[in-house]
Amino acid sequence: MANKILKLSQATREVNSGSNKIALLDSIDMEVKEGEFISLMGPSGSGKSTLLNCIGMLDNFTDGGYVFLGEPVHSMKERNRSKLYKEYIGFVFQAYHLIDELNVWENIETPLLYKNVKSSERKALVADMLDRFNIVGKKDLFPMQLSGGQQQLVGIARALIGNPKLILADEPTGNLNSKQSTEIMELFSELNKEGVTIIQATHSEQNASYGSRIINLLDGRIV
Amino acid sequence: MIKNYFKIAFRNLLKHKGFTALNISGLAIGMTAGFLVLMYVGFELSYDKMHSKANSIYRVVADIKTPSETINANKAAWAVAPNLEKEFPEVLKATRITNFNLVVVRDDKKNIEENVIAVDSAFLDIFDFKLIKGEKKTLFKNPHNLVISEEIAEKYFGDVDPVGKQLDLDGYDDPGLIMGVMEKIPENSHIQADIIMSMITFTAPPDNRDEHWSNYNPYSYILVADGTDPKRLESKFPEFLEEKNGDQMRELQMFVTLFLEPFSDVYLASDRGGDITGNINNVYIFSIIGIFILLIASINFINLSTARSVERAREVGIRKVIGAGKNQLAFQFIGESIIVCLLSFLVALGLASLSLPYFNDLAGKTVSTGIFIEPINVFYLFVIALSIGVIAGIYPAIVLSAFKPVSVLKGSFSKGSKGVLLRKSLVVVQFTISIALIIGTIVIYKQMHFMRNQDLGFNKEHTLVIPTETGSSQEALRNRIEQIAEVEGTALTSSVPGTGNPAAYSEVENQNGDMQVANLDLYFVNEDFIEQLGMEVIAGRGFSRDFPSDSSKAMVINEKTVALLGYSNPEDAVGARYDQWGSNGQVIGVIKDFNFRSLQQDISPLTMRLDPTSTSLVTVKIQGQNISKGLSSIEDVWKSMKPADPFEYYFLDELFDAQYEAEEDFGNLFLSFALLAIFISCLGLLGLAAYSTVQRKKEIGIRKIIGASVVNIVNLLSKDFLKLVGISFIVAAPIAWYAMQSWLEDFAYKINVEWWMIALAGATAIIIALVTVSFQAITAAVANPVKSLRTE
Repeated sequence: MANKILKLSQATREVNSGSNKIALLDSIDMEVKEGEFISLMGPSGSGKSTLLNCIGMLDNFTDGGYVFLGEPVHSMKERNRSKLYKEYIGFVFQAYHLIDELNVWENIETPLLYKNVKSSERKALVADMLDRFNIVGKKDLFPMQLSGGQQQLVGIARALIGNPKLILADEPTGNLNSKQSTEIMELFSELNKEGVTIIQATHSEQNASYGSRIINLLDGRIV
Repeated sequence: MIKNYFKIAFRNLLKHKGFTALNISGLAIGMTAGFLVLMYVGFELSYDKMHSKANSIYRVVADIKTPSETINANKAAWAVAPNLEKEFPEVLKATRITNFNLVVVRDDKKNIEENVIAVDSAFLDIFDFKLIKGEKKTLFKNPHNLVISEEIAEKYFGDVDPVGKQLDLDGYDDPGLIMGVMEKIPENSHIQADIIMSMITFTAPPDNRDEHWSNYNPYSYILVADGTDPKRLESKFPEFLEEKNGDQMRELQMFVTLFLEPFSDVYLASDRGGDITGNINNVYIFSIIGIFILLIASINFINLSTARSVERAREVGIRKVIGAGKNQLAFQFIGESIIVCLLSFLVALGLASLSLPYFNDLAGKTVSTGIFIEPINVFYLFVIALSIGVIAGIYPAIVLSAFKPVSVLKGSFSKGSKGVLLRKSLVVVQFTISIALIIGTIVIYKQMHFMRNQDLGFNKEHTLVIPTETGSSQEALRNRIEQIAEVEGTALTSSVPGTGNPAAYSEVENQNGDMQVANLDLYFVNEDFIEQLGMEVIAGRGFSRDFPSDSSKAMVINEKTVALLGYSNPEDAVGARYDQWGSNGQVIGVIKDFNFRSLQQDISPLTMRLDPTSTSLVTVKIQGQNISKGLSSIEDVWKSMKPADPFEYYFLDELFDAQYEAEEDFGNLFLSFALLAIFISCLGLLGLAAYSTVQRKKEIGIRKIIGASVVNIVNLLSKDFLKLVGISFIVAAPIAWYAMQSWLEDFAYKINVEWWMIALAGATAIIIALVTVSFQAITAAVANPVKSLRTE
């Protein structure tokens, strides 16, 4: 039986809007095992992104329990939490969020800089990654010079470079055409086969079909 | 990692060329100003530091108390220095220094050398002026021995070694014998000379000046043994003076107290002055201005950085998500700020190097011949640049590194609300300084204008002053000049306002009928002088050829002397007896006070007497319309009568106004720095305006679509900035008013700081700010709103 990566119990995220409290996420119960490829689905505003952000520890649940790799995230200090996500989680965004001033090589390399990886090792890892994604020829280009699909490839490469256990992808193909979408989704499913756990938020049934499990959200609840 | 930061920093700088240019130019200009001030202050503080024994050297000065006044002299009597050396074991060496002119005769031409001093033989044992040729032990031992500077050697001897050669000196029995050649004395020495003569030339018998206790001509310096307490040494002086000179002091009723001034204080800190003096207040004022300008420039940098930091929120968000820690981000932004500052530092070095000659001109002295002459200054500037980089980087770094990645990346981040108050306060600081400096400039210029145009009590226009020898040749010259058609008249005098004049030990009958002792300023004149300079006789009469006794028994005094003697009425002083420098007689008239010194000083009691042997200046009044023709006719007369002598002359008004040269230099420097301050402030304003315009692009677009006119939009964008300038004005006005009032305290004759000067400064600042801001605002206001809305 595969190991549990994370477990949410009655996880809730509320925000204050004026004098009212609005629950963006309401009593979510959810478990993710290693090697799963989960698709979060639901209409706009259903809480997909919020759930991803909270799982990714960029945002916090206001109530309920969150256990990540056996550690109780809900009772952790900010510092430890960021240590945890830097170590184990990679993010992929709809808008790619590459750093415009850095070229492809440097964008992929940056997470390693923040982990104080040695220069020679960095070179080897980035070169491997470029190779694996077939973008060696593009390593000196800047994000502006790439197509959306290529930018997202770089984004995924950057997410993977730190060798995370979990990839969180928020509508990774939302800005791409269908051909590019297909390529990206096939890449995800390949990565998944190699053992990377993936949670993606998506509107698209077709993208969702790449996953091993679908979780439907509506108004902050699992349905 | 560092490499990565550098890369990002440079790419960022290149990407935002406008901002980068604004940032670097503002900072570089500020640093240049700071650097120049640093050099100026450093130069002023470096005076007289070239002597290895500087800390053991003292200038001996005297307070002289007469029944009428206490004179704070910067000199001591001839006898003081040699006797101190003789009587006190702790006084190792002593030298006196007097300034005078030498006329060097060369190939039948007379050359006037004005930068000449006479010194005692210990001069080079005390001071470390560099001797290039000659034997130090042999110098200044005998009369007519000379040490000359390299330039003088070059002038009279070319490439020939001058040591052992002679110079013919006009008015001396023997030629001067050159015993040594010295390096040119550096400008930052208050002792200056091109030619140094042995003091014994003047002190040897029959003069025996070494025993003169009441003539205060020479500056006196002593070198004391290590560990000598100057206060203790000073405390022994009264007994010493009593023993040497007690009877004479009582007889003359002039009681002397001697003090020691540390040598290094003489230039800047002494309130007794000297021939070459600095002004410690100016050093403070410029230090403050330098700091202010650096501050203004740094504020620009901080403001532009924080304003722009919002644009980099996305980058911060991404970096955080992919693993950047808060410290790593803070380090990155501080690093970038340091890079900008160091770039500015390099630009500033270039600018400083280019502007140094102009700065020297402005300062009226050669502050420095090159920016690397004093490398320590460059190092200081480097440290300043680095500190600005760190300080200016800290705030944006803190703001940026605290961003929450989720909110930034989702775009819900509220733009520009951070640090608005800080930015506004900093702008207020900038403009407060700028407005205060403008007010200062206006007051300084107004005061200069006032001093130039103040009624001095005499007429200085169209008056030529020609130094000559006295005697029959002078009389002949005067007769010839008077025959020139353009000449209105001539007169003779020993001094004119602006040259300085002797002060004489005098006894004059006061209102109680006693002979009151006082040290009174003295002009020797002829019968025409008072009338020629348009002075007003308010009681009695002026000198007249109709009264033969005037030539030896008459004195004219000014109103201040009348007051000193206690007469309530000028008429009462007429007929008072006097005894002055071996001559006695009666006061025949009183003239209205006139400013014979600069307007910084009050008018002091003055006496005038006739003495044809002392009136070495011929003053010539020329018709106002024919100055140049008259001048050339006079020159022709001079050349025909005195072919060997150079024709030297000056105009009285220029001579008098030259006393304000230091103030003028000060005013010009002040103006330049004030302009710089306002310019840099405006650069910052321009940047902020540009930034806020970009931020409000969408708002402007919407407003235009719902009917706002260009004027409405410009108002909208300018209003906020004008408010800040207005607040700055309110803060600056009282501060500047107070500061300038205290600056004016130094002047005996001064203007008041008036409301219009302050209002003018405020109006200037507001107009400049308005122009700066509206330039941006108009660009934004005329832009097509559809475009700006689409891009949002």
